[in-house]
Parts: sequence; C-alpha cells; structure tokens
Amino acid sequence: MLAFRPVGYIVGWLVLALGFVMFLPLAVDVALGDGNAPGFAEAAVLTIAFGAGLTLACAQAGDLRLGLRQAFALTTVTWMVYPAVGALPFMLGLPGLGPTDAYFEAMSAMTTTGATVITGLDDLPHGILLWRGLLQWIGGMGIVLMALLLLPVLNVGGMQLLRASDFNTLGKIMPRTKQIALSIGSVYLGLTVACAMGYEASGMNGFNAAVHAMTTLSTGGMGTSDSSFAGFSPAAQYVSTVFMLLGSLSFARYVQLARGDAGALWHDTQIRAFLAVYVAFVLGMLVARLAGSARLDETVVREVAFNVASMLSSTGYASADFILWGNPSVMIFFIIMLIGGCSGSTAGGVKVFRYELLFSAVRAELRRLYRPNIVILARYQGRTVSPQVMDSVIAFFMLYFLSLGIIAVVLVLLGLDPMSAITGAASCLGNVGPGLSPEIGPVASYVDVPGAAKWVMSAAMMIGRLEIMVVFVLFSTAYWRG
Amino acid sequence: MVDVRPVGYLVGWLVTALGLSMALPMVADLTAGSANARVFATTAILVIVSGAVLAFACSSGVSARMGVQESFLLATGTWAVFPIFGALPFWFGEPQASFTDAFFEAMSGLTTTGATVFTSLDTLPPGTLLWRGMLQWFGGLGIVIVAMVFLPTLKVGGMQIFRSEAFDTLGKILPRAGEIALSLSLIYALLTFLCFMAYVFTGMPAFDSAVHAMTTLATGGMANHDLSFSGYGASAHYVATAFMLLAALPFIRFLQFFAGDPKPIWRDPQIRGFLLVVAAFVTLLSAWLALVRPGPFEPAFREVLFNVVSIITGTGYSSADYDTWGSFAMTMFFVLGLIGGCSGSTACSVKIFRYQLMLASVSAEVKRLHAPNRVFAPRYDGHPVSQRVLDSVMAFFMFFFLTLAVVAVMLVLVGLDPLTAISGSATAIANIGPGLGPVIGPAGNFSTLPDAAKWILAATMLIGRLEILSVFVLFGAAFWRA
Repeated sequence: MLAFRPVGYIVGWLVLALGFVMFLPLAVDVALGDGNAPGFAEAAVLTIAFGAGLTLACAQAGDLRLGLRQAFALTTVTWMVYPAVGALPFMLGLPGLGPTDAYFEAMSAMTTTGATVITGLDDLPHGILLWRGLLQWIGGMGIVLMALLLLPVLNVGGMQLLRASDFNTLGKIMPRTKQIALSIGSVYLGLTVACAMGYEASGMNGFNAAVHAMTTLSTGGMGTSDSSFAGFSPAAQYVSTVFMLLGSLSFARYVQLARGDAGALWHDTQIRAFLAVYVAFVLGMLVARLAGSARLDETVVREVAFNVASMLSSTGYASADFILWGNPSVMIFFIIMLIGGCSGSTAGGVKVFRYELLFSAVRAELRRLYRPNIVILARYQGRTVSPQVMDSVIAFFMLYFLSLGIIAVVLVLLGLDPMSAITGAASCLGNVGPGLSPEIGPVASYVDVPGAAKWVMSAAMMIGRLEIMVVFVLFSTAYWRG
Repeated sequence: MVDVRPVGYLVGWLVTALGLSMALPMVADLTAGSANARVFATTAILVIVSGAVLAFACSSGVSARMGVQESFLLATGTWAVFPIFGALPFWFGEPQASFTDAFFEAMSGLTTTGATVFTSLDTLPPGTLLWRGMLQWFGGLGIVIVAMVFLPTLKVGGMQIFRSEAFDTLGKILPRAGEIALSLSLIYALLTFLCFMAYVFTGMPAFDSAVHAMTTLATGGMANHDLSFSGYGASAHYVATAFMLLAALPFIRFLQFFAGDPKPIWRDPQIRGFLLVVAAFVTLLSAWLALVRPGPFEPAFREVLFNVVSIITGTGYSSADYDTWGSFAMTMFFVLGLIGGCSGSTACSVKIFRYQLMLASVSAEVKRLHAPNRVFAPRYDGHPVSQRVLDSVMAFFMFFFLTLAVVAVMLVLVGLDPLTAISGSATAIANIGPGLGPVIGPAGNFSTLPDAAKWILAATMLIGRLEILSVFVLFGAAFWRA
C-alpha cells in the first residue's frame, strides 16, 4: 500500500504558505478601502488552519521519505487541493461565486489556463484581481519547478531526455535541488519585474502592470478587464507579446544565461523551433487575413503578432475577437492551441520538443521503409534518441489526443455545441484559456457553460497541466498495489 | 536508382485487363438498348491500346528485379493511373461528367471510398452503374492482395507483424505469393456470389443485387440509387450488414477456414476486437437513439446496426440520415470512421490491430512509470511486439492524423465550411464515403464542391487507401537516389 503521510505533510506546508500569501490581497483591499478585506481574512484563517492541521496530522513519527510513487501522488494532490483552497476568497469575497464557479476559476488560475467565469472584471475590488494574478504566478512557478526537477526524474512523456541536457548541465553549476529552485525562482521574479516595468512604461497604471506582469510570465492570461488587452496601448501589446514568448522558453536556459553562458540559450533546438513555429504562424495568419478583407498596416500586424503569441504560448489574452477573422484563421488558431511552448517553461500544450522528437522518429521510419537493412535511429539535438524515450513521447501523444477526444465527446453530451466542445476541450487541456466559438471565444467567458461541464473542464485543465501521464498513472491498479 | 521499367510493364498489362473488362458494361448497355454501349466499346479499345503500348515500351524491363522501391512505385502507380482510365466512360459517355468529376468518381470507386458526385443515379444507364460497381470490386480485390502480399513485406505501418503469419501459416498450404493472390481472388469472388444470391433472395432486382454485392464486398458503398439503401426492406439491410462485416475481416482467415481449419478465425484477436467495438457502438447508439427519438425497437436497432457497420467498415451505404440524430451521434459516427476494420480485408481507415498495438504500448508505458526498473514488453496475440513494429505503427498514426488535419485546412482554404472540411477529409483518408453535415452528409453528395476540393479529396483517398506511408515514401529525394 501507498504511504500517504509524506504527501500529506508536504501538501500541508504548501497550503499553509498559500494562506499567508492571502495577506497580500488583504493588505491591498485594506489600503484601498475596497471593502473585501473580511473575505480574505476569513479565507486566510481557514487556509492556515487547514494547512497546519494537515501538516500536524501527517507529521507523526514515521518514515517521511518521498519515494517515486509518493512523488506522483504529491503532484496530483497538490494541484487538486490548491484550487480548492484558492477558491475560498472567490466564495467568501465579493464575487460570491458558488463552489463550482469558484473552483473552476481557481483551477483555471493555478493551471495558468486563464479561462474565467467572472464577468464585470473592471468593477471588481483590487484584492480579488490581485488574487487571480497571484494564483497564476504561483501556479506558473510551481509548474516550472515541477517540469525541471520532478518530471525528468519520473520519466514522464519523454521528459527524461531533458534530464541529461537541463538537469546535468545545471548540475555542474549548482549541485543541489534547492539551489536550482532558488535560482529559477529569482529568474522568474526578475523577468516578472522587468515585464511590470515594461507595462508601466507603456502607460498602464501600477496595479494593472503588476497583475498583468504576473499573468504574462506565467502564460496564464487573466487580465483586469473584460476586454482583455483590447483596451491597452499598442506599446503594451508589444511588451506583452515579447514577455509571453519569453515565458514559453525553457527557464533553465535563463539560469545559464544569468551565469554567463549565452550559448545554451542560443543553441537550444527547441527554442529555435519554437520561434520558427511562431514566425511561420504569424506569416501564415497574415496571409489568411490579407486573403480576406484586411489591409496590411500596423494594426493588422500587431493584432496577428499579439494573438498568435498569446495562443501559442497558451496565455490566452486577446486584443481582438479573432474568431471573426474567418474560417481559415480559426482553423490555424486551433492548430496553434495543440502545439504549445517549450518544456521547462510556464507554457502548456503538447510542447515543441515532443513534436521535434516525433518528426525525427517519423523521418527515420520513412527512410527505413526503402532501406530495410540499415539501422536508422531517430536523433535529437545531434544525439540518438533511445526507444524508451520515444515510447514515452508516443504514449504522451496518444493519451493527450485520446483525452482531448473523450473530453470533447463528454462536453457534447453535457449540452455544449460541437465547436465549443472541441475547442473548449483543446483549450482546457492545453491550458490556453479561450475557446474558438462565440460562446466561449476570446471576448466571451465560461460563465454560461453548464455546471457539470465546468467540472469536466477543471479536471481537463489539471490533467493537461500535469502532463497527463502523471495523472493517469494513478488510475492503474498496479500503482496502488505497488 | 529506381528502375521504372518493370513497374510500367506491370501497370501496362493491368490497364489492358481493365480495358478488356469494359466489355461487361458494354453488354449490359446493349441488353438494355442504351446508346451508351458505343462509348464503352470505343473506350475499351483506347484503354487496351494504351495499356499494351505502355507494356511494350517497358518490356525491356521484364526481367529487371522488382525491389523494394519498385514495389512502392507499383502500388502508388497503379492507383494513380487506373482512375484516369476508369474515368473515361464517365467523361465520354453518360452522365457526360467533367473530367474532374469523372476522375473523382473513378478514384472514389477504385479506392472503395464510395463518395459520389453523380446525382439522379436512378436515371443512369445500367452500364455506367455496373462500371461503378466493377471499379469498386477491382479496387477491393487489389487492396486485399496489396495488404496480404505487399505491405507486410514492405513493413508498412506495422503490417510486418502479419508477414510471418501470412506466409508461414499459409506457406504450408500454398507455397507461393501468386497462388495466395489467386486463392484470395477465389474467396473474394465466392463471397460476392453468396452476397448476390442473398440480395436476390430478399427480393432485390438481379441487376441491383449484382452491383450491390460487388460494392458490399469491396466495402465501397456505391449504390444504384440516390437514396442508397433507404429504399430497400429490412431483410436487405440485414444481408448487407452481414456481408459488410464479413468483408472487414482478414481474408486470410477465410482461406484457412475453407482449407478446413476454422480455429484461426475464432481466435484472431483482431476479429474479436473488431466485433467487440461494433457491439459496443451499436449498444451505445441504440440507447442514445431510444433516448432522443423514442419508438419501436426493431427499426431503430436496425438503422443503428446498419449505419454503424457501414461506417466502421468504410462502406458508406446509408439507410437513414443519421445527421439528424443529434451532435452526440454525429461525433460517434466521426469516431467510428477513424477506427476501421481488420487488416488484410477490403475495409479502410486506421484498422483495429493498430489500436490494439497502440493500447498495448501505452499501457506498458504507464506501468513503466511507477516501476521504472521492470521490463514491460507490449504483447499482441500472446507474442511480444518488437520496437521496430511499434515505431511503424506510431509513424502510421502520426501520418494519418497529420494528413487528416492538413487536408482539412486545405479544404477550408478552398472555401468549405469547417464541418464539411473536417468530415470530408476524414471520409476521404479513411475511404468511407459520406461525410457529416448538410453538404456531404449521408443525405447529400459531393457534386457541389469546388473542383479544387475534388482534386484534393481524390488525392487523399489514394493516400489513405495505400496506408499513407507507402505514398509518402515516394516524396523523399533519397528514395529516388538510393
């Protein structure tokens, strides 16, 4: 049987920490006299009490060693419990959401998805808006640490490949996990501050700049206005485009850059492929728009550059209602949603390196067909890829698209129209945010989706955020028997 | 270098044979007193001469070796050249179609797709209808032979797992590939005859029975009436269902069965998996239909059974407009089309065994995650499956769904609506026939599509019918150099 105590112990500490974070929006509300402070106070007390209780209950004498199986349970449990706790301020505070909506909102924030069920954002108290930003920022930080420290060790979805390149290279500089976590944390913080300053310089007020910087670097996409980015200046949109793309590159490379090794960032094929994909889609989308009725000017270029960056990095901001750009554009956006950013970043989706590996494997297979007697191996970054890694990547693709199909069918059964169901499933699983139908599109919200569908979508966001296989492993009976 | 002479020689003789077979529709038209007989006579001469010229031009290559590359070229070459000649009677004679339409119809016939651009079928001369049936019948026979004799040797898409079995087991009975092809043809002809007798027995006119028997066993689906099977009675529906199912089983099992060994057909995991999938979908959709359209059990059950079998086998007959059954049913029919029948049959699409291999591989991978030090080998039919086979299967999946997506995008770009584009792309690559939606759904047809879309769809049918990889292999520059 699985020993749950170490899992509970760590989750308890994490919940406790989140409770203390709630004092930040509390302070903002008190300072601005926004009147929602009691809600945060109640939520903070409840959260701290729950966290402390859980930690104490699990801290009794015994083995607190974290094994492989506990690590799987820990990730999934953390991403299930955190949204429940993070939902408290939404339920107790001004928006007064029901448990379904509050959990959906918190899950969407924690997984850096950015889908929202709250309308009238512009009139909300500042504390709540800051809380959404903080949840996304914490979620983004958590996922980067998980992707760089935990998943490669767990051999999930081909991530073991990155163990060699990221972990070991980093290992030579900083031998210990805590230090890696610390330096990634400071890089993340540094980028966020830079982004906030960029927003401020482009004319946003201090509060908006701070919240948007947090949701930009986490590629989350929750804004402070119902119109997302449409109301901000062109300069702010360019700043956002740059930082969304920066948020989707591998954070390990920034650490190396900060240590004076720029070559690692420059030579990373995943980063190159990601940027190439971005440029290709921007050009493709421009062609699609010009073939329609648009004329080539700064506005069109900016709209395309911004929204493609937003969808590819799985952020989900919108500066225009891009589902009105016509069928070809919608189709291209759907494909963009299925790609995602680089591994070891805050971006969601399948991730670029998996596509690179897959194409490498497929190319090898085609050559094998007419050269049946020669051993042809798939290569990545100049090295051959072991069949074990390939198997993981393939299993990942299978489970990803299978989940996508099943979730879409379930959403249709729960009453969504097919377009909302398919693009909503892709959006939630890829942690993007908006769907591609008028109901849940870039200028709409998820508020009218039936309650049951919201739970399905919340689960989809979590499954997608935790790279699918981490969650599915918990469903095999052998896992529990050990 | 690739030697095209032996390929040209064989294709030449096959074209000549096709020309000779045009005598049959000519006789049919003569008997019915239709002036269209003249068209078949002139076309036959033209085709026979062209084939003979090609064969003689390449006759210096008679003794040249048919290597791996030549075999790939032969498969694609045959399916690319045949529709050109097969289209001539539609172009020169009734229904005086444009060359685009005639080519589309012939390609749809030879790939056993069954999508049609002809309207008012009921008024066409018997020769034209018979020619459509014959094209499908030839296409079906061709594909069984390719799937049993060529693809396993060429190691396309995991088909190599059937190599030892097909040749060794049979090898004891029939030592040579030519003999296998001959006995497969006999089985195919015998089953067609049985199907014809059964249709006649249900009261279908003899001519309709003959054409429908040919398109049933080919899992092609071209019918003699615009209403497809809606106009026939219950018994005809059940007969068609039974023979569509038979046509989707591996033909090698029938050979063994008639050779006195019924055990393989009973134990084949692919056949069991296929029947299980059919049963599951029939149950699910019967329940759904009872829910949304309450009524007597038998007609509803028959409609579900007939249309589910028609779509999963890639036949494409319809006995009801299932587009009106709601979006859940539509989604299910879309999924059904992506499954397909067993390998080594006339059925199309991804095929059951690939899903079985993929599931075995994915479940092994999930087990590996939490027990990284144990070896889990995926198994099929009790035997461990080699990495090489899994790689092939993976490449197949990859190409299948990538092609599906790219074709869908292209169809949107030439002006189709998204539902027509996606379902049209799926129905073409899986060689089914009808798509979804009002335009190309079971109640519509392909005649109103723009010409560009028809050419794209025709190419997609060819790619899908030849198991994708065997076409794409021709696109590598190294293929031609090697």
